[in-house]
Amino acid sequence: MSGTTIISAKNLNLWYHEKHALQDISMEIEKKKTTALIGPSGCGKSTLLRCFNRMNDLISHVKITGDLRLDNEDMLCDSMDVVSLRKRVGMVFQRPNPFPKSVYENVAYGPRVHGINDKKELDAIVEKSLKRAALWEEARDRLNASALGLSGGQQQRLCIARTLAVEPEVILMDEPCSALDPIATAKIENLIDMLKEEYTVIIVTHNMQQAARVSDYTGFMYLGKLIEYDRTTNIFEHPKEDLTENYITGRFG
Amino acid sequence: MTDKFHTELKDLKKSVSEMARFAFSMLQDSQVAFINQDDALATTVIDRKDQLREMTVTLEETCYQLIALNQPMAKDMRTIVCSLKVIAASERIGRYGKSTAKIVKEIAGKPHIANMMSLPLMSEYVLTMIDDAITAYETENKMILDGFSARDDAVDALRQSIFRESITHMMENPKTITQATFYIIIARYLERCGDHACKIAENVLYMETGERVEIK
Repeated sequence: MSGTTIISAKNLNLWYHEKHALQDISMEIEKKKTTALIGPSGCGKSTLLRCFNRMNDLISHVKITGDLRLDNEDMLCDSMDVVSLRKRVGMVFQRPNPFPKSVYENVAYGPRVHGINDKKELDAIVEKSLKRAALWEEARDRLNASALGLSGGQQQRLCIARTLAVEPEVILMDEPCSALDPIATAKIENLIDMLKEEYTVIIVTHNMQQAARVSDYTGFMYLGKLIEYDRTTNIFEHPKEDLTENYITGRFG
Repeated sequence: MTDKFHTELKDLKKSVSEMARFAFSMLQDSQVAFINQDDALATTVIDRKDQLREMTVTLEETCYQLIALNQPMAKDMRTIVCSLKVIAASERIGRYGKSTAKIVKEIAGKPHIANMMSLPLMSEYVLTMIDDAITAYETENKMILDGFSARDDAVDALRQSIFRESITHMMENPKTITQATFYIIIARYLERCGDHACKIAENVLYMETGERVEIK
């Protein structure tokens, strides 16, 4: 890694009951770059992603060991305020999940939870977030309409706007395009490209071409292990590990 | 990316190697025609031009389709990229064969001068380089390509020596000017074919290792 590290994992292990789901993961995520995690189903990539904002805390019988740091701050210690951690590390899920509220309220929700109630300030945040999520032009005239009336792609961009509204440093995306059509997918991919000017993006995807298109770094995971982690161009042009080669050329998975 | 894709990729390599061998035979036959002043053989080389073009276009189309439909990665991607370069280099080699054949027809009936200088030796060097480069592509054996730079240097040196020798003959006896000029041109074609062999070699190395190595 040449730039500044924002998240670093060292010997990270995770168990669901007896299942050793993450095994000795060590990696550094570079600031303001996009990192993609790829690998076959069940390899642990979503689990690893969920470690980065401690979403695994919500699952019972999970045990985590090792070291995980955000800006050199221990993320796993008990004193870490999970609410503020999730403000700094936002997440976008596979299926767009807007609240059954207006477009405006969806974006204003987070800032309100964090204590912002001034209407003008909220208006500004909503506009700025929708603009950053490339949704402003399509949604400016329907801010008070239900978010559920938006198309799937628009809903997903709304979810991204909702994440951006609380000014995160890192945005985690778990298969953000798998429920979208190719045009909506292209819009999200362009958006990811713009987002990395200000944010660090970590994306889990099954679509290898997507990983190749959007990311600067790619990690290939298999059976809970991080097999190879390198610049995306190296991974897709000439990976060092045979396992990576076999996976990305479709020989297994 | 399915098994179907890998079967198609294998078929592509086989067809590209057949095309490369076809182009090789055009150059090889043009050299034989030149040495033996065989007008009929030269004609067959010229006649193969259209087939060469047809093979080139068909195979390039196949490559484009494989890329568009399968979005290949890693070695699969490098194999297709390498194949495209092999097709382009082979087409050039075949066309130099055709150009040489045209010269053979041009100088038909005129005896060779200076025992053809080092042209037969040079053509042997170049043909072996092309043969090795194609074999490396077919067998994915990069060891065959060891020492390619030195072999290319030897070819360059031969071209230089043919050039000087031709100039000397022209100065001594202006009646040799036409013949000697064609010798210089053929030497130039052979030198270019040697360069194309090096390009194929470079791309086979890229296909095999993912690394870019310059052979010069």
